[in-house]
Order: sequence, then C-alpha cells, then structure tokens
Amino acid sequence: MKNYDILIIGGGPAGISAALAASKFNLKVALFEEKETLGGQLVKQTHKFFGSKDESAGTRGIFIAQKLINDVNNKDNIDVYLNSMVLGYYEDGVVTALVKGKMEKFKPKKIVIATGAFEKSLPFENNDLPGVFGAGAVQTLMNVYGVLPGKEVLMVGSGNIGLIVSYQLAQAGVKVKGIVEISEKIGGYLVHASKVRRLGIPIYTKHTITKAIGENKVEGAIIENIETKEKKQISCDVICLATGLMPLSDIINQINCEMKYISELGGYVPVHDDNMKTTVENIFVAGDTAGIEEATAAMLEGELAGLYASYELTNIFDNRINEIKERLKEFRKTSSKVVSGLKKLNLYNDFTVNSQEDLGKLHRTGIPEKESIESNIPKENKRFAIIECYQKIPCNPCVSSCPTNAISMDSLNGIPKLDTNKCIGCGNCVAICPGLAIFVVDKESVLLPYEFLPLPNKGDIVEVVDREGKFLEKNIVLNVRKMKDKTNLIEVKVSKEHINNARHIRVVK
Amino acid sequence: MRIENHPILEFKRTKKVKFYFDGKEVWGYEGESIAAALHALGIWEYREGLKTKRPRGLFCAIGHCSSCLMEVNGVPNTRICVTPVKEGIIVKKQLPKGDLVEKL
Repeated sequence: MKNYDILIIGGGPAGISAALAASKFNLKVALFEEKETLGGQLVKQTHKFFGSKDESAGTRGIFIAQKLINDVNNKDNIDVYLNSMVLGYYEDGVVTALVKGKMEKFKPKKIVIATGAFEKSLPFENNDLPGVFGAGAVQTLMNVYGVLPGKEVLMVGSGNIGLIVSYQLAQAGVKVKGIVEISEKIGGYLVHASKVRRLGIPIYTKHTITKAIGENKVEGAIIENIETKEKKQISCDVICLATGLMPLSDIINQINCEMKYISELGGYVPVHDDNMKTTVENIFVAGDTAGIEEATAAMLEGELAGLYASYELTNIFDNRINEIKERLKEFRKTSSKVVSGLKKLNLYNDFTVNSQEDLGKLHRTGIPEKESIESNIPKENKRFAIIECYQKIPCNPCVSSCPTNAISMDSLNGIPKLDTNKCIGCGNCVAICPGLAIFVVDKESVLLPYEFLPLPNKGDIVEVVDREGKFLEKNIVLNVRKMKDKTNLIEVKVSKEHINNARHIRVVK
Repeated sequence: MRIENHPILEFKRTKKVKFYFDGKEVWGYEGESIAAALHALGIWEYREGLKTKRPRGLFCAIGHCSSCLMEVNGVPNTRICVTPVKEGIIVKKQLPKGDLVEKL
C-alpha cells in the first residue's frame, strides 16, 4: 500500500491544476489518469480561450494543455499514474486502482475528484445508427488522430461546443450542412456563431432533429421547425450531437457524497462548499464533475481544491484561495445558468449576474443588426479597427494588445470600446481576439483573421464574402502576415461599396 | 479518410501497423486507438445492439459510453476507442455480449 498526502482522480485541466497547486507545498501527490495521456479534453481544443491574461486568454487550448502537462512532468513530488483507473474508495480510507492492469492499494489523506463529464445523447428515431456521434468523439477523431469524422456533418446544438466544433470541422475540410438549435436564440457565444456564419454555415434556430436516415450508417437527417412543424431533409453522413454534458460521478456516488439533481449544472452533482469540499470528510471535487462549465473554470476550481486540501494538511493558508474565488466570480458574472445552479447548492447566494440583453437578430442568426454594424463605422476617413463584439462575455485580450491604448473596457465582462483617434490600424487586436471578431478597415482594403488552408499568397485573387459567407466580389490579396499562433492576417483589396460587409475570404482553387 | 494538412495542427504519424478486422488485414498508425484506425478506413460498425440487434458504432470516443465494445484478441467488451492498435491484434465485431468462455 502506498501513502500519499493528496490523491487526484482525473488528469484533465482540473486534476492537473489541483496537482500543481498541491505540489507547491511539497506534499506527496498522486495523479490518476485512466487513459494513456494527460490533458483530458483540453488536448482537442484548437480554439483560443476567452478570459484575461491570467487565464491564458488568446491562447489555444492545445497549448494550455501542453504547458500544464509539462509542468506536471517537471514536478518531482507528483507521481503520475497513466493507464490507471481508480476503482473504489473504502471506509478505512483505502483507494483501490487498476494500475496498468494490476490492482493496487493507496492510502491518501485527501482526495480530489476531477473525473470530468459524459456526453448527453438526444432521443430521436434511429439515434443509434453509426454516424451519430457525440461532439467530443468528432473532436477526438479529427483533432487528436487527424481522422476525418465524415464528409458532411449536421450539427445538433448551438452552444459553444456545437459552434466551436462546427468551425473546427470546416477547418479540417469537412462540409457542415447546418447547425440545429431548438431554442429561438443561439446558445453559445455570438462571436463563435458569427465565425461559422461567415463560412456560409446556416444556423436553424427553433428546429430539432426528428430522425436519422440510413440502414447501417447515417445517410441523412430530418429536421423539423418546432413551431410550424415544417420538415426538411438534409443529406449527411455524420450527425454530431452537441447537446450537453453530464457530470461523471460514479466514484462520487460510490463514496456516498450527497448528490443533488441540478439541471443547470448538467444533472446529478456532488453537494460542495465554496472550497470544493463535498459532504464527506477529506473528499474534494473540481471541474465538470462538480457541475458543467468550461475549461477555464475547471482549472480555477482544480487549483482551489488543491490549495484548500493542502491548507487542511499544512495549515498554511495561501491567499491565492481568495483570489481564485474572486476570479471565478468574475468569470461567472454573465453565466446566469451556472450561477442559478450554484444557488441551488447554497453558493453564490448574494451574487447577482449581469443581465444579458437580447441582441435581436444577432442572437437569432449570428449576424448583427444593421444599426450595430453602422455604429462601428467612424466618421473620419482613416485606417481603423472595427470591433464586432456586442455581447458581454468574460474576455479582454484586445485591450492589452493595443500599443496606443485605443481599446478600453470597464470590466472583464464589458464590451470593448475603440477610440478611433488613437487607433493606428496595426492589427494586433485582430490577431489576438479569441472570437475572431476584429477587423481593420482602410479606404480600399480589409484586414481579417484567417485560419484555413490553403493560405493565399500576396497578389492572389480570392473571393471576398460577407457575414453570411455570400459572395461579394473577386479581389486581390494585398498582404499576408503569417502568425506564429496560426491566426494569419490577410489584407484584401475590397471595393468601397463592400468595405463594411467584407468579413471573410475564400481561396478559389 | 485522414487529414493531410491542417491549418492549426500537425499530426505526428509514426509507424504503420497491421492488424485484423473480422479476418481482413487492415492498418493504422502506432499510438492511435483501434477506433480511429477503423474509422479512417471507413469501418464504422463495431457491434450489434444487445436487444435491438442493430449496428452500433462510436459515440463518445473517450471510453465512457460502451457503444464501441468489440472483441480484441479474444477479450470481449474491449473499449476500442481507448485501446491502442498493436501489430497483429485480432479485432472482431462483437455480437451482443461477446463470449469469453468459448475462447478458453
């Protein structure tokens, strides 16, 4: 039997963050991961993260994962158990695990459970056909193994995962036939929605999938307008379900932690306090297991659980504990769903969420209202940035990227404001914006972010398209700035009449 | 179907390994899951539903849903989405529950 101070179950962003936090106190830490590699779902996230600099905003998830994994591997006091599944916890404090196929016993003083989540399915006819995949499976195939999930995909769900995976599919060269969303509004961040709309991908709000077509494999889908009941057939070989996640709580149930059903947090979640402690002594939770959120919250919660468990062992209180709680609050400032879930756990009782205003057409289509677009266009005739970011989300890398302090924001959850007198049109903000929502417009050109292949060369003629991916004109590429983080900047010549609508290019082969 | 060029990612593909699927010789890259290798070859049916007898394929691809259970080297109920391909392994479509006793 091996003794540890802290044993962590799950090697994703939450588990790794907990391990790193505990390692600061020179405690003996064990990190268990069921699979062959660490990083959890973060290793599939090719998009740039939101947030502030402290949370690696503007950095792609894959790079955040790499850094976390390297940090863990460089710590002598963290024993990493890969291919090792924790089987159970006994009343005498013993944990059993299958370590590379052999059962072993461990006795930790504290346990942090960070087992992540499980993909939800959706009831519809033929939903068991091969070709109906969870969004995580699609990401695993294409972003981990470089295997194309299919040729034509119908996405179900317009939350952040549905929108992000649709964009990633397009980057991999897969045709996305549409995104189906049952509610009247798009669920995810609207900058993500605008990104996919520019590619010409339709978002069918107030629609649901009623049937998968096919004998042994998916060949198509029937979607239905939930109001008019009008049906539409879509041919596709993959139906990708991005319909939510459920906390993976088997081990927490086995330990007999008190559980509560909270739909806003994804289903049954362990009752826990604001230090991530469950109702069972010495057992902590973090990340999606504690309630579905996203990776940034998972990393913060993991660190919090690791620090608090360490505090209970060492009596050293790290002030970072209070700092993380504040960061989490700022992050949740616009997440009414998560906060109302947390209130059911008796947390965040006095906390008020910034109400999200209905952004009209933008919320329903991913395309901003004409007035919003026009309000961005300054009177002066000069080169300047256009920030098409209208929704309050926790994100601010554009502010610090500006060399002339032309961009300001009243808080992390504010909306960026541009001082056109200060803006020099350098394009730094275009390159850093995680939502790809900033463009630089000149008299006869638009500078835009481009994350597709093939990359055009200076002098090439490309198709200039609008916010819906509709063809505007053919024009010439004036400049290509290859960037290290692969959000390349393309400056394309655009005739005056299209300047305020040209937002993407298509390279014609 | 594999991604050759990707705007963001680079795929480090190492050695090709041969293995068997329902008696046919197939291949994958060392280090990838059996599911990824089969999917790339267009093989999407991995077992039959327990009660429905209908074809089942991948669903979650992270070892949680049991949709892709197959018989690997005689061991039924192997989660092929988290089991790496190895030279010469024998992978068979699993009929309902699989059968371990028969193999012994």
